[in-house]
Amino acid sequence: MIITWIVALGLIAFAQMATRNIQMVPSGLQNFAEWLVEGMYDFFTEILGKELVKKTFWFFCTLFIFILFTNWFGLVPGVGTVGWGTPDASGHLHHISQPVLRGGNADLNMTLAMSLTFFLLWTVWSLQALGAGGFLKHIFSGGDNGKGFMALLMMAIFFFVGVIEVISIAFRPVSLSFRLYGNIFAGENILESMMELIPWLGWLLPLPFYFLELLVGLVQALVYALLTSVFTALMCAHHDEGHGESHSHGEHKHAH
Amino acid sequence: MLPMFAEMGGLVHVGLAGLGSAIGVGLIGMKAAEATGRNPGAAGAIRNQAIIFAALAEGVVFFAIFLVK
Repeated sequence: MIITWIVALGLIAFAQMATRNIQMVPSGLQNFAEWLVEGMYDFFTEILGKELVKKTFWFFCTLFIFILFTNWFGLVPGVGTVGWGTPDASGHLHHISQPVLRGGNADLNMTLAMSLTFFLLWTVWSLQALGAGGFLKHIFSGGDNGKGFMALLMMAIFFFVGVIEVISIAFRPVSLSFRLYGNIFAGENILESMMELIPWLGWLLPLPFYFLELLVGLVQALVYALLTSVFTALMCAHHDEGHGESHSHGEHKHAH
Repeated sequence: MLPMFAEMGGLVHVGLAGLGSAIGVGLIGMKAAEATGRNPGAAGAIRNQAIIFAALAEGVVFFAIFLVK
Protein backbone atom coordinates (compact mmCIF):
# COMPACT_ATOMS: atom_id res chain seq x y z
CA MET A 1 0.00 0.00 0.00
CA ILE A 2 2.76 2.39 0.94
CA ILE A 3 4.50 1.64 -2.33
CA THR A 4 1.57 2.65 -4.48
CA TRP A 5 1.46 5.97 -2.66
CA ILE A 6 5.16 6.50 -3.14
CA VAL A 7 4.93 5.75 -6.87
CA ALA A 8 1.85 7.93 -7.25
CA LEU A 9 3.51 10.84 -5.41
CA GLY A 10 6.65 10.32 -7.47
CA LEU A 11 4.67 10.55 -10.70
CA ILE A 12 2.84 13.66 -9.51
CA ALA A 13 6.12 15.30 -8.56
CA PHE A 14 7.59 14.31 -11.92
CA ALA A 15 4.63 15.82 -13.75
CA GLN A 16 4.78 19.03 -11.70
CA MET A 17 8.49 19.48 -12.26
CA ALA A 18 8.16 18.77 -15.96
CA THR A 19 5.43 21.34 -16.47
CA ARG A 20 6.78 24.11 -14.21
CA ASN A 21 7.79 26.57 -16.91
CA ILE A 22 6.55 25.33 -20.21
CA GLN A 23 8.45 26.78 -23.16
CA MET A 24 7.67 26.25 -26.81
CA VAL A 25 11.01 24.57 -27.30
CA PRO A 26 10.97 21.87 -24.60
CA SER A 27 14.18 20.99 -22.82
CA GLY A 28 15.30 18.47 -20.23
CA LEU A 29 12.52 17.01 -18.12
CA GLN A 30 9.73 18.63 -20.09
CA ASN A 31 11.15 17.16 -23.28
CA PHE A 32 11.15 13.69 -21.79
CA ALA A 33 7.61 14.07 -20.44
CA GLU A 34 6.34 15.33 -23.78
CA TRP A 35 8.04 12.54 -25.65
CA LEU A 36 6.51 9.97 -23.32
CA VAL A 37 2.96 11.32 -23.50
CA GLU A 38 3.01 12.01 -27.24
CA GLY A 39 4.48 8.58 -27.91
CA MET A 40 1.68 6.99 -25.90
CA TYR A 41 -0.90 9.18 -27.63
CA ASP A 42 0.14 8.08 -31.13
CA PHE A 43 0.39 4.51 -29.90
CA PHE A 44 -3.19 4.51 -28.63
CA THR A 45 -4.56 6.49 -31.58
CA GLU A 46 -3.39 3.65 -33.78
CA ILE A 47 -5.56 1.23 -31.77
CA LEU A 48 -8.53 3.31 -30.72
CA GLY A 49 -9.00 5.72 -33.58
CA LYS A 50 -9.23 9.50 -33.46
CA GLU A 51 -12.28 10.34 -31.33
CA LEU A 52 -12.20 7.41 -28.93
CA VAL A 53 -8.61 8.11 -27.97
CA LYS A 54 -9.55 11.62 -26.86
CA LYS A 55 -12.13 10.17 -24.49
CA THR A 56 -10.14 7.28 -23.06
CA PHE A 57 -6.48 8.30 -23.31
CA TRP A 58 -6.24 9.64 -19.78
CA PHE A 59 -7.01 6.20 -18.35
CA PHE A 60 -4.78 4.05 -20.52
CA CYS A 61 -1.75 6.31 -20.34
CA THR A 62 -1.93 6.59 -16.55
CA LEU A 63 -2.43 2.85 -16.32
CA PHE A 64 0.64 2.15 -18.39
CA ILE A 65 2.90 4.63 -16.61
CA PHE A 66 1.67 3.66 -13.16
CA ILE A 67 2.04 -0.09 -13.68
CA LEU A 68 5.45 0.38 -15.30
CA PHE A 69 6.87 2.42 -12.42
CA THR A 70 5.24 0.25 -9.76
CA ASN A 71 6.87 -2.80 -11.35
CA TRP A 72 10.26 -1.13 -11.59
CA PHE A 73 9.98 0.37 -8.12
CA GLY A 74 9.41 -3.11 -6.76
CA LEU A 75 12.88 -4.05 -7.99
CA VAL A 76 14.68 -1.44 -5.91
CA PRO A 77 16.89 -3.40 -3.46
CA GLY A 78 15.28 -2.11 -0.25
CA VAL A 79 11.78 -3.33 -1.16
CA GLY A 80 10.60 -6.52 0.49
CA THR A 81 13.83 -7.18 2.31
CA VAL A 82 13.56 -4.63 5.11
CA GLY A 83 10.97 -5.38 7.77
CA TRP A 84 9.94 -7.48 10.72
CA GLY A 85 10.16 -11.24 10.98
CA THR A 86 10.30 -14.01 13.53
CA PRO A 87 13.86 -15.37 13.87
CA ASP A 88 14.13 -19.16 14.13
CA ALA A 89 15.51 -21.11 17.11
CA SER A 90 19.15 -20.28 16.44
CA GLY A 91 18.36 -16.58 16.20
CA HIS A 92 18.85 -16.37 12.43
CA LEU A 93 16.20 -14.36 10.65
CA HIS A 94 15.44 -16.14 7.40
CA HIS A 95 12.05 -14.94 6.41
CA ILE A 96 10.76 -11.38 6.67
CA SER A 97 7.05 -11.83 7.37
CA GLN A 98 6.11 -8.15 7.37
CA PRO A 99 8.33 -6.17 4.99
CA VAL A 100 7.95 -2.41 5.24
CA LEU A 101 7.76 -2.03 1.48
CA ARG A 102 6.29 -4.68 -0.80
CA GLY A 103 6.15 -4.90 -4.58
CA GLY A 104 2.98 -3.09 -5.69
CA ASN A 105 1.84 -5.50 -8.35
CA ALA A 106 3.03 -8.57 -6.51
CA ASP A 107 -0.29 -8.46 -4.70
CA LEU A 108 -3.50 -9.74 -6.29
CA ASN A 109 -5.67 -7.12 -4.58
CA MET A 110 -3.82 -4.38 -6.42
CA THR A 111 -4.10 -5.90 -9.88
CA LEU A 112 -7.68 -7.03 -9.34
CA ALA A 113 -8.61 -3.50 -8.24
CA MET A 114 -7.14 -2.08 -11.43
CA SER A 115 -8.87 -4.68 -13.60
CA LEU A 116 -12.25 -4.09 -11.98
CA THR A 117 -11.88 -0.32 -12.41
CA PHE A 118 -11.14 -0.95 -16.05
CA PHE A 119 -14.18 -3.25 -16.34
CA LEU A 120 -16.40 -0.54 -14.86
CA LEU A 121 -15.04 2.09 -17.24
CA TRP A 122 -15.31 -0.32 -20.15
CA THR A 123 -18.99 -0.85 -19.44
CA VAL A 124 -19.59 2.90 -19.13
CA TRP A 125 -17.75 3.68 -22.36
CA SER A 126 -19.42 0.98 -24.40
CA LEU A 127 -22.86 1.95 -23.11
CA GLN A 128 -22.09 5.55 -24.04
CA ALA A 129 -20.88 4.60 -27.49
CA LEU A 130 -23.55 2.00 -28.27
CA GLY A 131 -26.50 2.71 -26.01
CA ALA A 132 -28.11 -0.13 -24.03
CA GLY A 133 -29.88 -1.67 -27.05
CA GLY A 134 -26.80 -1.37 -29.24
CA PHE A 135 -24.69 -2.92 -26.49
CA LEU A 136 -26.75 -6.11 -26.47
CA LYS A 137 -27.15 -6.08 -30.24
CA HIS A 138 -23.39 -5.87 -30.61
CA ILE A 139 -22.82 -8.83 -28.32
CA PHE A 140 -25.60 -11.11 -29.52
CA SER A 141 -26.13 -10.44 -33.20
CA GLY A 142 -23.15 -10.98 -35.39
CA GLY A 143 -24.48 -9.75 -38.71
CA ASP A 144 -27.17 -9.90 -41.36
CA ASN A 145 -29.46 -12.78 -40.55
CA GLY A 146 -31.00 -13.60 -43.91
CA LYS A 147 -34.67 -14.47 -44.45
CA GLY A 148 -37.25 -16.92 -43.02
CA PHE A 149 -35.98 -20.22 -41.61
CA MET A 150 -32.38 -19.18 -42.04
CA ALA A 151 -33.06 -16.17 -39.81
CA LEU A 152 -34.32 -18.48 -37.06
CA LEU A 153 -31.32 -20.77 -37.33
CA MET A 154 -28.89 -17.88 -37.39
CA MET A 155 -30.65 -16.32 -34.41
CA ALA A 156 -30.12 -19.49 -32.38
CA ILE A 157 -26.48 -19.70 -33.38
CA PHE A 158 -25.81 -16.09 -32.57
CA PHE A 159 -27.53 -16.49 -29.22
CA PHE A 160 -24.98 -19.11 -28.23
CA VAL A 161 -22.18 -17.00 -29.67
CA GLY A 162 -23.47 -14.19 -27.48
CA VAL A 163 -23.41 -16.37 -24.36
CA ILE A 164 -19.81 -17.33 -25.07
CA GLU A 165 -19.03 -13.67 -25.69
CA VAL A 166 -20.50 -12.73 -22.30
CA ILE A 167 -18.42 -15.40 -20.58
CA SER A 168 -15.24 -14.21 -22.31
CA ILE A 169 -15.98 -10.60 -21.41
CA ALA A 170 -16.60 -11.54 -17.79
CA PHE A 171 -13.33 -13.49 -17.73
CA ARG A 172 -11.23 -10.54 -18.90
CA PRO A 173 -10.69 -8.83 -15.53
CA VAL A 174 -9.71 -12.17 -14.03
CA SER A 175 -7.19 -12.91 -16.77
CA LEU A 176 -5.79 -9.37 -16.77
CA SER A 177 -5.23 -9.33 -13.01
CA PHE A 178 -3.84 -12.85 -12.82
CA ARG A 179 -1.42 -12.27 -15.69
CA LEU A 180 0.10 -9.14 -14.16
CA TYR A 181 0.11 -10.52 -10.61
CA GLY A 182 1.50 -13.88 -11.70
CA ASN A 183 4.35 -12.48 -13.75
CA ILE A 184 5.51 -9.99 -11.14
CA PHE A 185 5.08 -12.35 -8.20
CA ALA A 186 6.88 -15.16 -10.03
CA GLY A 187 9.67 -12.74 -10.87
CA GLU A 188 10.17 -11.86 -7.24
CA ASN A 189 10.20 -15.54 -6.30
CA ILE A 190 12.83 -16.22 -8.96
CA LEU A 191 15.05 -13.50 -7.56
CA GLU A 192 14.70 -14.87 -4.01
CA SER A 193 15.29 -18.49 -4.95
CA MET A 194 18.25 -17.58 -7.15
CA MET A 195 19.80 -15.86 -4.16
CA GLU A 196 19.60 -19.02 -2.08
CA LEU A 197 20.46 -21.44 -4.90
CA ILE A 198 24.25 -21.01 -4.71
CA PRO A 199 24.94 -19.06 -1.52
CA TRP A 200 28.66 -18.47 -2.12
CA LEU A 201 27.90 -16.80 -5.47
CA GLY A 202 25.75 -14.29 -3.56
CA TRP A 203 24.33 -11.48 -5.70
CA LEU A 204 25.99 -12.64 -8.95
CA LEU A 205 23.35 -15.28 -9.78
CA PRO A 206 20.21 -13.12 -9.48
CA LEU A 207 21.82 -10.36 -11.59
CA PRO A 208 20.60 -11.59 -15.03
CA PHE A 209 17.16 -12.16 -13.55
CA TYR A 210 17.09 -8.55 -12.46
CA PHE A 211 17.35 -7.47 -16.08
CA LEU A 212 14.78 -10.10 -17.01
CA GLU A 213 12.47 -8.56 -14.42
CA LEU A 214 13.04 -5.08 -15.84
CA LEU A 215 11.98 -6.37 -19.25
CA VAL A 216 9.03 -8.34 -17.84
CA GLY A 217 7.87 -5.23 -15.94
CA LEU A 218 7.88 -3.21 -19.15
CA VAL A 219 6.25 -5.93 -21.26
CA GLN A 220 3.52 -6.62 -18.70
CA ALA A 221 2.70 -2.92 -18.39
CA LEU A 222 2.58 -2.64 -22.19
CA VAL A 223 0.43 -5.76 -22.52
CA TYR A 224 -1.97 -4.64 -19.79
CA ALA A 225 -2.52 -1.21 -21.34
CA LEU A 226 -2.71 -2.67 -24.84
CA LEU A 227 -5.24 -5.37 -23.97
CA THR A 228 -7.46 -2.94 -22.11
CA SER A 229 -7.41 -0.52 -25.05
CA VAL A 230 -8.05 -3.29 -27.56
CA PHE A 231 -11.02 -4.51 -25.52
CA THR A 232 -12.41 -0.98 -25.50
CA ALA A 233 -11.74 -0.59 -29.20
CA LEU A 234 -13.61 -3.83 -29.91
CA MET A 235 -16.71 -2.47 -28.25
CA CYS A 236 -16.66 1.22 -29.03
CA ALA A 237 -14.37 2.08 -31.90
CA HIS A 238 -16.08 1.04 -35.12
CA HIS A 239 -19.52 2.14 -34.00
CA ASP A 240 -18.72 5.79 -33.85
CA GLU A 241 -19.32 6.48 -37.54
CA GLY A 242 -22.75 4.83 -37.79
CA HIS A 243 -24.45 6.70 -34.96
CA GLY A 244 -27.34 4.33 -34.36
CA GLU A 245 -29.06 4.70 -37.79
CA SER A 246 -30.01 1.22 -39.12
CA HIS A 247 -27.56 -0.23 -41.62
CA SER A 248 -29.72 -0.23 -44.73
CA HIS A 249 -27.07 -1.52 -47.12
CA GLY A 250 -26.67 -5.31 -47.18
CA GLU A 251 -23.18 -6.15 -46.04
CA HIS A 252 -22.30 -5.18 -42.49
CA LYS A 253 -18.57 -4.44 -42.36
CA HIS A 254 -16.79 -5.05 -39.03
CA ALA A 255 -13.59 -3.03 -38.76
CA HIS A 256 -11.57 -5.37 -36.55
CA MET B 1 8.92 -46.25 -10.86
CA LEU B 2 5.83 -46.71 -8.75
CA PRO B 3 6.97 -44.64 -5.73
CA MET B 4 7.72 -41.84 -8.12
CA PHE B 5 4.08 -41.79 -9.21
CA ALA B 6 3.06 -41.88 -5.57
CA GLU B 7 5.09 -38.76 -4.92
CA MET B 8 3.38 -36.75 -7.66
CA GLY B 9 0.83 -35.17 -5.35
CA GLY B 10 -1.60 -33.91 -7.94
CA LEU B 11 0.33 -30.87 -9.19
CA VAL B 12 0.72 -32.33 -12.65
CA HIS B 13 -1.57 -29.72 -14.12
CA VAL B 14 0.90 -26.91 -13.39
CA GLY B 15 3.64 -28.76 -15.23
CA LEU B 16 1.37 -29.44 -18.18
CA ALA B 17 0.25 -25.81 -18.25
CA GLY B 18 3.87 -24.73 -18.17
CA LEU B 19 4.64 -27.11 -21.00
CA GLY B 20 1.67 -25.85 -23.03
CA SER B 21 2.45 -22.17 -22.64
CA ALA B 22 6.15 -22.75 -23.35
CA ILE B 23 5.26 -24.47 -26.61
CA GLY B 24 2.85 -21.66 -27.39
CA VAL B 25 5.39 -18.92 -26.81
CA GLY B 26 7.98 -20.88 -28.79
CA LEU B 27 5.66 -21.18 -31.77
CA ILE B 28 4.86 -17.48 -31.59
CA GLY B 29 8.55 -16.63 -31.54
CA MET B 30 9.24 -18.91 -34.47
CA LYS B 31 6.49 -17.48 -36.60
CA ALA B 32 7.36 -13.91 -35.66
CA ALA B 33 10.97 -14.44 -36.69
CA GLU B 34 9.83 -16.01 -39.94
CA ALA B 35 7.42 -13.17 -40.65
CA THR B 36 10.06 -10.54 -39.92
CA GLY B 37 12.40 -12.38 -42.26
CA ARG B 38 9.81 -12.42 -44.99
CA ASN B 39 8.83 -8.77 -44.56
CA PRO B 40 11.45 -6.77 -42.62
CA GLY B 41 9.54 -3.57 -43.28
CA ALA B 42 6.75 -4.61 -40.90
CA ALA B 43 9.14 -5.64 -38.12
CA GLY B 44 7.64 -3.21 -35.59
CA ALA B 45 4.06 -4.34 -36.02
CA ILE B 46 5.09 -7.99 -35.96
CA ARG B 47 7.07 -7.44 -32.78
CA ASN B 48 4.13 -5.78 -31.06
CA GLN B 49 1.77 -8.57 -31.99
CA ALA B 50 4.29 -11.24 -31.01
CA ILE B 51 4.73 -9.65 -27.57
CA ILE B 52 0.97 -9.49 -26.97
CA PHE B 53 0.27 -13.07 -28.02
CA ALA B 54 3.27 -14.34 -26.07
CA ALA B 55 1.92 -12.59 -22.97
CA LEU B 56 -1.52 -14.09 -23.59
CA ALA B 57 0.01 -17.54 -23.92
CA GLU B 58 2.01 -17.00 -20.74
CA GLY B 59 -1.09 -16.01 -18.81
CA VAL B 60 -2.33 -19.60 -18.93
CA VAL B 61 0.34 -20.83 -16.52
CA PHE B 62 -0.81 -18.49 -13.80
CA PHE B 63 -4.39 -19.70 -14.07
CA ALA B 64 -3.14 -23.23 -13.55
CA ILE B 65 -1.00 -22.22 -10.59
CA PHE B 66 -3.44 -20.02 -8.73
CA LEU B 67 -6.93 -20.92 -9.85
CA VAL B 68 -6.95 -24.68 -9.68
CA LYS B 69 -6.29 -25.85 -6.13
